[in-house]
Amino acid sequence: MKRKIISAALLLVFVSSDVFAFCGFYVSKADGTLKNKTSQVILVRDGERTVITMSNDFKGDVQDFAMVVPVPTVLKKSDIKVVEADLFQRLNDYSKPRLVEYYDDNPCEPRVLYENVLSGRVAGVSAQKESKSKNEDQERFKVKVEAEYTVGEYDIVILSAEESTGLYKWLTANKYKIPKGADEVLEPYIKSNMKFFVVKVNIEEQEELGFEQLRPLQIRFNSPKFMLPIRLGMANADGDQDMIVYAFTKNGRIESTNYRSVLMPTGKNIPLFVQKNFGSFYANLFQHQWEKENQSVSFVEYAWDVSPSNFMKCDPCVSEPPNFNDLKEAGVWWLGKDVYEEYVNEYNTNKTKNVFFTRLHVRYNRKAFAQDLVFQETPNKENFQARYIITHPATGNLTCSEGQNYLKELKERRKKEMSMLSQLTGKGYDDWDLVMDPELNRTIVDTSYQSIAVTESTPMKKTGTGKTVFLASMALLSVLTMVSIGRRGKNKE
Amino acid sequence: MAVAVKQWDARYFQMAFQVIFLFYGIMFLQWKAEWLQYSLYIGTALVLQWLCDTIISKKIVSPFHWSSGGWKSALISSLSLCLLLKTNDWSICILASALSVFSKYIFRINGKHVFNPSAFGIVATVLFTGNAWLSPGQWGSSVVIFFAVCCLGFIVVTRVQKLDITLAFLLTFAGLLFVRQVMYLNWPVDFFLQSVSTGSLLLFSFFMISDPRTAPNHAVARIIWAMLIAAVAFYFSAFKWMNSTPIFILVLMAPLVPLFDLLMKAKIFQWRAAVKESQQATINFIKRKRIYHG
Repeated sequence: MKRKIISAALLLVFVSSDVFAFCGFYVSKADGTLKNKTSQVILVRDGERTVITMSNDFKGDVQDFAMVVPVPTVLKKSDIKVVEADLFQRLNDYSKPRLVEYYDDNPCEPRVLYENVLSGRVAGVSAQKESKSKNEDQERFKVKVEAEYTVGEYDIVILSAEESTGLYKWLTANKYKIPKGADEVLEPYIKSNMKFFVVKVNIEEQEELGFEQLRPLQIRFNSPKFMLPIRLGMANADGDQDMIVYAFTKNGRIESTNYRSVLMPTGKNIPLFVQKNFGSFYANLFQHQWEKENQSVSFVEYAWDVSPSNFMKCDPCVSEPPNFNDLKEAGVWWLGKDVYEEYVNEYNTNKTKNVFFTRLHVRYNRKAFAQDLVFQETPNKENFQARYIITHPATGNLTCSEGQNYLKELKERRKKEMSMLSQLTGKGYDDWDLVMDPELNRTIVDTSYQSIAVTESTPMKKTGTGKTVFLASMALLSVLTMVSIGRRGKNKE
Repeated sequence: MAVAVKQWDARYFQMAFQVIFLFYGIMFLQWKAEWLQYSLYIGTALVLQWLCDTIISKKIVSPFHWSSGGWKSALISSLSLCLLLKTNDWSICILASALSVFSKYIFRINGKHVFNPSAFGIVATVLFTGNAWLSPGQWGSSVVIFFAVCCLGFIVVTRVQKLDITLAFLLTFAGLLFVRQVMYLNWPVDFFLQSVSTGSLLLFSFFMISDPRTAPNHAVARIIWAMLIAAVAFYFSAFKWMNSTPIFILVLMAPLVPLFDLLMKAKIFQWRAAVKESQQATINFIKRKRIYHG
């Protein structure tokens, strides 16, 4: 008998590793630092109203798809919507870390130019078999089917339960395969009065609709809880999982209240050869920074005011900024229906139409993330982007004295770029994956960098622990000194 | 036999630790260093404090003979603002500092100021300007911070008075969290540990609620008051999903302090008296030791 596997989406990709079928496209072939378990979520929040859109790039047999999302209320059918799949791609393209290029002139005026792009790493949710939703054993399992809907290609059941063993048994009896360790999380959710949003694919509807790919699901509800239940997704996760959160709010950035928010290093000059392999560079950078910050952090990769009244929605723009329709599709309800004209034409200072966009990137695992992600909206409207800079050298005849000076400076600059590279990624020139062309399988670094790399010593690998230990001892030392000074006092006889 | 012992005012330690925390945040927790804001917080607080002292004493106070101790309080309050209050607007910094200092003179009952100055400045600015915020997650939940804040806080608090307020608050708050998160909801213990090891909570317990000048005078009243704050703050954070509740509840509960003082009489805390007391304790200790050694 085939069994269903529940994959909890919303980040909750629970999924046994052999069934997990992710086929996202990413750059690096060889390095294990890129995670293909990436989920994407759009969060729209104002007051106590939340709209959550969950990406679904499940690539296996759609019959294998199932997910469970804890939600704070029983959702009505009108609270559930299916949205277009390319919305996530557009938001990702707009907000992902970017590489900008500058050109040196022969040695004269500099000119600015363009962007290169990290391929989006996107992720999946998987898997289960069979569609059957009748529940005859409500009483026995103390599980209540609050509602059943078919929305788009999905069959949706909303459950509430009195105890986790009941829910566990119900899911098992209904042929969902629950990973080990899930029940430790189910109980807290049940007791926190959460409901369970159980989704699987309605094959007939799906065939009728004719969509090949499963589309993202969007839910909306009113609740003071502004959080993403990542814990369910970790129930059997053995490794690290990535999540990208695209948030739209009225007043400013969102930030986590129970994990540290860290801005990605930005505006750094890096060696030219990174251009060929920017995706791998960023993957290494992310991994290194994540480890340096002791893992329990959420990274800000992008933050920008995308209000109708703001003309400059990115600088430089990697792709089209989200337009009115994208925002509506994402669930930004406060724009209303009639502002389209204002949005495209006019300078609109209407504050109620403000929209601020935040992109957070979280890499989580069971050990470093004991709690779900809880957020707050702040009035912080400061724009931010993760941006890296390469500079092309001047070309042509450089024999004049300025030209010679320029070459000296260039060499110095390249040394700095190299050490910046190792500072950011924790990897030096010797690490082949940064300097290899993944397609041609040969070194792509030009010789000028190579000669520097030989003279430069290999970068030291600093870890966050070293720093913390250092500081802790500093602090203790200063305390002891002060205490001893205070205690000793002046004794006179 | 004359024994003179020089004891340091605990407020020097408090300042030093606040500065250490600030630099720790900037150097190791990737806080954005807002030097302009820090100087505005500190500068405004000191200038206004000086102005208030001058007006009250009806003569110009020389900054070099500024003995009233006012500057220490102003500096501590403004360092708290540097550590906690976030904004992108420099005028907010001036406002918050001004509110902190003025609150000590405007809201006074029986010779005691009602509100903890920095808590009042923070809460009023966040609520009324809508352009400032607190980042409860800025410290993370690392064990090192837990250890450091506890150690340093312990020293400050024990030098001032007993640990009563801090422990009453912290134990009640952590106890309620434990009952709710681990015993009732059945979260694993590390869920609870993350809640209590957050720097924000510890900093509040050791450096804010512990302020002896804005707590009830009577020891029993202090403990009841601290437990009350913990219970209400817990309620709003666990059931209403609000953030940074302890600091808001501290300000909300401040008007209860004069009531406690009215019902339960005791001496008002004085920094100088505290220093003298601890000096006396040290003197006695030394004397006893000498007697013991013959």
